[in-house]
Amino acid sequence: MSSLTMRPCGDFRTSYKQDNTIFETKTIRWVTIFTILALCFAPLVVDGYFITLLIQISYLGIAALGLNILVGYTGQISLGHGAFFGFGAFASAWLNTSFHIPVFLCIPLAGFLTMGVGMMFGAPAARIKGLYLAIATLASQFIIEDFFARADWFSGGSSGSMAEPINLFGFAFDTDQSFYYVALFSLVFMFIWGCNLMRSRDGRAFVAVRDHYLSAEIMGVKLNKYRLLSFGISSFYAGIGGALYAHYLGYVSAEGFTLMLSIQFLAMIIIGGLGSIKGTLMGVIFMVFLPEVLESGVGVMKMTDWGNIPMVVDGLAYIKEMTIGLVIIGFLIFEPEGLAHRWTQIKNYWKFYPFAY
Amino acid sequence: MNSIKNKKLLLSSITTCIALSFTSQVQAEDSVFVGHLADMTGPTSFVAKHYGSGIRDALNYKKKNNGINGTKFEHETIDYSYKVPQAIAAYKKWTSRKNMVVMQGFGTADTEALISFVSRDKIPNFSGSYSGHLTDPTGKNPHTKKPAPYNFFYGASYSDVCRGLIQWAAEDWKSKGNKGQPKFTHIGANHPYPNAPKTACADYAKELGFKVLHPVVVSMKPGDFKAQCLSIKNSGSNYGYLGNLGGSTLSLIKSCNTVGTDIQLMTNIWGADKNFFNAGGSGLKNYVFPTMTPFWGDDAPGMKLVGEISKMSDPSGNKERTHHYMRGICSAYYMIEAMEWAEENGGITGENIKKGMYVKSDWVPKGLEGVCLPATWKADDHRGINKINIYNANYENGSVKVNKVSTVTVERRDDWLGY
Repeated sequence: MSSLTMRPCGDFRTSYKQDNTIFETKTIRWVTIFTILALCFAPLVVDGYFITLLIQISYLGIAALGLNILVGYTGQISLGHGAFFGFGAFASAWLNTSFHIPVFLCIPLAGFLTMGVGMMFGAPAARIKGLYLAIATLASQFIIEDFFARADWFSGGSSGSMAEPINLFGFAFDTDQSFYYVALFSLVFMFIWGCNLMRSRDGRAFVAVRDHYLSAEIMGVKLNKYRLLSFGISSFYAGIGGALYAHYLGYVSAEGFTLMLSIQFLAMIIIGGLGSIKGTLMGVIFMVFLPEVLESGVGVMKMTDWGNIPMVVDGLAYIKEMTIGLVIIGFLIFEPEGLAHRWTQIKNYWKFYPFAY
Repeated sequence: MNSIKNKKLLLSSITTCIALSFTSQVQAEDSVFVGHLADMTGPTSFVAKHYGSGIRDALNYKKKNNGINGTKFEHETIDYSYKVPQAIAAYKKWTSRKNMVVMQGFGTADTEALISFVSRDKIPNFSGSYSGHLTDPTGKNPHTKKPAPYNFFYGASYSDVCRGLIQWAAEDWKSKGNKGQPKFTHIGANHPYPNAPKTACADYAKELGFKVLHPVVVSMKPGDFKAQCLSIKNSGSNYGYLGNLGGSTLSLIKSCNTVGTDIQLMTNIWGADKNFFNAGGSGLKNYVFPTMTPFWGDDAPGMKLVGEISKMSDPSGNKERTHHYMRGICSAYYMIEAMEWAEENGGITGENIKKGMYVKSDWVPKGLEGVCLPATWKADDHRGINKINIYNANYENGSVKVNKVSTVTVERRDDWLGY
């Protein structure tokens, strides 16, 4: 078993530039560029159902990357990410309807507002860590959820608030196909930003704080500053993701941003791989597609004569829900380092074939 | 070797799953598609599965019996487990692959998430979410933030039910010969569903001379609510509206019996049914609740059809259905009759179905007389029902007896539209 820290044989880096590069080889770079270009043509090829799933992957992916920066790279924990996601959604809708700021400006502004809120709730991280921090962030989840239900001026209370579609130079991104490009652009932009952040001094400081906070402090990394900054950046990502979600649906209701959503974000990054940017995306894709694939399995059963009776269909619904849970448990047992690790192993397997060690 | 075999097995099963997700079920020519979102396994499933089965059985029954004036229709029931992303994905699958014309939804979460989509795609959505703000289709009331032109539901809105209960409470207070100002409390979680009628109901209570006390917050999850019951007791409140449902409401009733409160509890449409009474048992004393349909075993002309529909999933015909099940049937049948009107007047499209909803007034679907209350939808007013049947439940000699208390009519005031 190779581990993440082990370099494949023959891969020697002789300069900092080589060590710092986003794409390890030219092939990876070209494959990435080609994939993004191919995704641009997706609306011409696939139907609305897949477009909506790709949009879901985009906004959830952006928010999940934020959580991975906090949990995977900085070693902090947050159980309130779903609430920050919701805060971004409401904040963007609120900025747009109350101050008539154009939507494409509201989205980054909502990100900054969420960043502020996130840093406020992340402040205890300067003093506490581990389980204690988990409980402190759990409190933020409940406080913000309660705020949504009460603050009529901000969230519209029980009737929710409306979010206009993105409008750029008179063109409204109000169909799935057009919004898909907004979502894709945001996803690529935020992921490149995330990659670059991790190559910078601040990114290395996050990793230092995670790996050994005492050594990091001795080396001159300000612990409080970086822990708080990590909370801020993580919430910023959640806010952007939430804002995209709001303007995609056109309507925000306080119903969806529960603790379950926060747990789901955690599940995404654990399945994908903690401390891995591409792992984040893999985890999100996995979590978005899993229920859909299982649902289509149920759909196939329903097409048969013996399967299309309510007893079988209802039974399958339960099995489907349980399978989602089972798959997640299976991952934690057999693939604790996530999909990103499995990907590395698959690559190594091909690279060293037939002399894999 | 074994591990390679396992890997091959894993790989092939993954490929099969992916291949499955790409298969789109081919749809027959000359048929229309109805989408149905149901929560069979999620957090609200203990009432939602009754409501969802009612819709599914009604659709299956109609499919077997002549369809829409002879036009075939197809439907698919998807269990979305009360999860918004899955509801959206199902909706998009239906619109992009099946050419859906109309849909049946369920809860607050999916209904509200789809408001913008259904009005853009012109697909009427019949929901089991009775929020007042869904009733203003044109935004006539300046308070309405977002008009919901393609949302319908069978039943009175949460706000109107609460107003009806308040109206009944005011009469009840007088008829019992009580003096002074009655006190009213809203009891429920701080969550959109219990909160929906909170201000509307409090305003009307004030108008009818109630003293409106501070709302009491009770979690949606079952628990020990003696502290809340003590504060209800200390406040001396006379009437309480229960905004929650199921286990939470039951534990509140039990806790309040222990504490010994003297409050008349009144609940919302989801807050009481047969299973609830069986679980509540001896704790139930004069528990007041609304319905929009009769009960299983009641004598009404339409119950014959309900019995036939019930046999779709229970051929023996022995299963007792709750009133949520019958509300599901009504919701499906109003939709079906509107589809039939659309078929005769220009074809079954979402827009025509919406128009079909406005054709009749005091409308009861054929064959369901005495089951569905007469309903009237108007192009600028989606408050279909404004009559509320009020019942009470009492534990007597080992079983729970349900008696009709009154029928109240709530005014259709302009400033109550969408509120």
